[in-house]
This record gives sequence, structure tokens and C-alpha cells, in this order.
Amino acid sequence: MIKEKVKTGVPGLDEMLEGGLIPGRTYVVSGTSGTGKTTLALQFLLEGSKQGERVLYVSLDEPPNEVRRNMMSYGWDLSRIQVFDATADVMSYDKTPVRDVSTERKVVYFGDVKDEIRKTSEKSPMDMTVNTLQELVKQEMKVRRYSRIVIDSLSSLRHFYIRTSEENASTISFIRVLSDIGVTSLVTVQLPEISKPDVEAHMARGEIRLHKWINGRGLMRGVTIEKYRGSSHDHRLRLMKISSEGIVIKSLAVRQTKTEEDGADTKQEAAANAPETIAEPPPSNAGAPGPVPDSSKPPEGGGP
Amino acid sequence: MKYDDAQRVSIGIPGLDKMLDGGLLPGRPYVVSGTTGSGKTILSVQFLQQGVKQGERALLVAIDEPPAEIRENVRAMGWDVGKIRILDVHPAAKAYSKRVSLVEVAAQRSVSALMEAGPDAKAEAMKKASPDISIQSLQLMLKQELQEVKYSRVVIDSLTSLKKLSEMMEDTDTSILSLLRFLSEASLTSLVVTDLPDPTQLEPEIFICRGEIRLHKRMVGGRTDRCVTIEKFRGSAHDTLPRPMRLTETGMIIDAGKKIPKASLRELQAFTQYAR
Repeated sequence: MIKEKVKTGVPGLDEMLEGGLIPGRTYVVSGTSGTGKTTLALQFLLEGSKQGERVLYVSLDEPPNEVRRNMMSYGWDLSRIQVFDATADVMSYDKTPVRDVSTERKVVYFGDVKDEIRKTSEKSPMDMTVNTLQELVKQEMKVRRYSRIVIDSLSSLRHFYIRTSEENASTISFIRVLSDIGVTSLVTVQLPEISKPDVEAHMARGEIRLHKWINGRGLMRGVTIEKYRGSSHDHRLRLMKISSEGIVIKSLAVRQTKTEEDGADTKQEAAANAPETIAEPPPSNAGAPGPVPDSSKPPEGGGP
Repeated sequence: MKYDDAQRVSIGIPGLDKMLDGGLLPGRPYVVSGTTGSGKTILSVQFLQQGVKQGERALLVAIDEPPAEIRENVRAMGWDVGKIRILDVHPAAKAYSKRVSLVEVAAQRSVSALMEAGPDAKAEAMKKASPDISIQSLQLMLKQELQEVKYSRVVIDSLTSLKKLSEMMEDTDTSILSLLRFLSEASLTSLVVTDLPDPTQLEPEIFICRGEIRLHKRMVGGRTDRCVTIEKFRGSAHDTLPRPMRLTETGMIIDAGKKIPKASLRELQAFTQYAR
């Protein structure tokens, strides 16, 4: 059996993963825009920092000051999470661009991130590439043995930091480096609305996919485990919610805390019908109230 | 800690501000997407107009339409848009003579108030120069302009055209990344207008931006049906339902309290990501 799994810190997700992630491996968190990839990734790091682990957030999409601001509404204490600002500089289109790759950019604690966006240095905008980032992660890993790393997002890395001709090879190499250094890592991948699997999905040891769709009740959110090498896992779509405390996987969370708010939750459980029937055999179930899925029956065992 | 209303950037369309939990977050780039005729430019001009009303400086980068036409169109709605400043980068008719370098282009284009927009000598001069417009040259122009005037809102209408104009000349993905970063570093709240994204492609602007307001227009039961959705809004709560929208003689009206009719919802579900 595999040694102790790494808890993601997302209520319900660890149960879907039969206890958590296998340590030292790289996993993909995928989803279309606005599905909660960054939130999930930070929750994963937060869980590590709560347990006194060293954790690193590599920010490629959003400047760290914005990420920190965004997460404030969850009331999380991100200050012990270390962050590397790998967001691109404004390009200088002057005739003699100064490309000083050695410009100091350091890993800092989220708590030390300034409120303002980092301004591009006039003299030396940095040419961040997949190579510099790969080296940085390796070096950082030697100095501070991180136990969790998040790359947010791999899509940005592919689009903006890798030359098109080398896209796949460089992406694979990057994921390989993460596995070689033996850190449990999550890389986020932004999916187009209609997608086909890409190299990262093949290379990663597992993929957690976030979904959103709309039905008569409004926006629904769900999560599936698309792949999980070396472990059994939940094969169903589970409803999730982005609440004021972060991401909560509902159907399972309900099962565990069913006594807490009975009335409200039964309604939400009923809502679980729709997505599962919609998600598996696509649309066309308009009107037909789907069969009652298992997830809405958990109280059965408990009895009256 | 949440952003309170005072910090939010109001779009000036009450229903839309409500959907956005008060408005946009300052200093960040956002996308407005939709098919042709869905109301993207109207929304953008209302956003700029709201800024002007609050005593801010607002800049419209006009690529799709010549400024004089935009002015005529919005005047028909009875808005006084004279104070919105405009950077005319509408491609001039090509003269097929000597090209001008990018840096020189930056020096040539100038900003005028929308009020003054009209065919003039400058346009004639431009025709002679007929410089190529690109994402890079736009960033240079904006840099120059921002040194002179302190703006707080900017609209790029549209990025789709700008991308097409620059396609042959540069790596557009990284240029867009750089341009949006540039706007953020200048503390500008920006709206970037784009066509409806191709659902099979990952458009860079859609995933770099911090939010997307999508305008939908389609025929349902023999009439044009319009609605608006917030596809993404980082760092803020937002309305997750599609809301009915109307384009009236006085601008865009969004009814944030109403649901869209069932038939329209079905149309919407049959499309893009909602089809899951």
C-alpha cells in the first residue's frame, strides 16, 4: 500500500480521492474559466501551511497582490504561503531592449507581498521563460524543501513562456522536473469550452476537473476525478460550491455533516439529480426529473 | 475583507453593476465579449461615460469604427459624450507608399476629445503615412499618452480587430499579455472588447483578464433575444444567472431581478460550456 496520502484540504475532495493525493506526484486541476482552479489550488497550499509544511505558489496568471486580495473574502491566512511572482513584465519595444535575465525576483511570503502591482523595471524587464522558471523551481527546492507546490497556471506557461515549436516538449519537461524533485504538486490548466486532452493530461498522475453549467436553478458547479494513477477514486460527478469558506464538495460534505443543517441540505441534495443526469448522458433531459441518485439517500443508513 | 462599494468601479448600467456585486475591481483588465450587434460598444461607451460623470478621465481606443461614426451613433442616444477622449487607431486607407516605423507611429497618432472627432487634416496626414497598427504600437502610443494625461478608465474596441491587424507582425499572445499588464501597472480599469470566443480555442485575453461579461444575442421564436452573463469575475461574488438585456434609445438596460424565459435558457444551454 502507498504511504500516507496528502490531504487537499478541500472538504469532500479527499473522500473522492480515497484519502488524498499520493505524495511526490504531479496532478492537474483543470476547468474552464471561473470554475475555481486557483481557489482549489490555494486551499491545497493552505492545508499544508496549517500543518507547518513549506509550500510554494508560483503565480503566472495573476499578480500576487491581486491573488491575495481575492482570497481575503474567504478569511484565509495566506501569510505563511510562499509565493513566486512569475507574471510577465510589460515588454519594452525600444530598439535596444535591455534583457537582463539576472534581475532579482525572489520567493517571498504572501504576507510580504505589496498591495500594489509590481511595476516593470524601466531598465531591465525580465524575460521569464520556461527554462528560467524550471531552474528557479529546482534551486528553490534545494534550498527550502517544499512539500507542496502549485503552478498557476500551466496554460499561461504554455502560451506565453514557451516558444510554440517547443510547446509540448517543454511542458512535458516541466512536469517531469516537478516529479523528479519529488514534490506533491498541483498544476492548473485552463480548458477551452470544448476541449480535447493535451499533453499535461497524459503526463500528470491524476486530474481533478472542475465544471460549471447552468440549469433552471442557476449556475451549478461540480467536480470529477478524471484520472488517478495508483489509487481507487470516486467516479461520479459531485456537486460543489464556492462558499464564503472556499470550495466545499457538497454531496459528500452533506453525508458527513448531515445533522448540521438538515432542512437546507435536503433541498440541495435534490438538486444533485439534475447535474448527474445532464452530465453523463448529455442534455436532452429537459423536464424529466432524473432518477434519485445515491447521493440523495445517505440518511437511509442512519435511520430515524 | 471585501471591496466595498466605494472602491468598486461602476459601469453605469445599474443592472450590470448589481450583477457584479457593485462593479468592477479597480486597476484590472476585463473582457466584454459578444457577437456583432450584441451591444459591446454601447456597454463600453456607457462605462466610459460613467467615469466622466464621476470626474475621471476616460479613453476610448477606437479600432473598429472611425471616431466620427461612434460619436454619431451614441449621440442618437442623447448622451453627451464630448468629454470621453479618443485615440483614433482606425486603420487609414493604405497609401502603399513608404512605411513608417512603429516608434514613429506612436508620435503621430494623437488623442482628441470625442467632441472634436471628425475628418480633418490629421486624417489626411495619416493617410500619407499609413502606418501599420499593431498591439505593440498601441502599447507605445498609450505609454506616451499616459505620460500626459492621467486616465482611470480605458476601452479597447476591439481587441479582435487589433489582433487581426497585428497577426502577421508579432507574437500576439505575448503582446496581449504585455498590453494588459501595462494597463494594470498604470492603475487603469480596462474593458477589452472581443468577439465571442471560439469554444474550441483558448483565447489568451479571456484567461488573462480578471473577468468576462458576455453579451448574448440570438433568435428565439422569431425575435431577437438578448441576455447577459458574467462568465468569470475574480475576487468578487457575482450573479451567476443569465439576465435579460434590452438595447433602448437611451442605452443598455439590464434587469438583474428577472430570469430569462425558458425558451431562451434552452437556447443558451445548447451553446458552449452550458451544454455540459
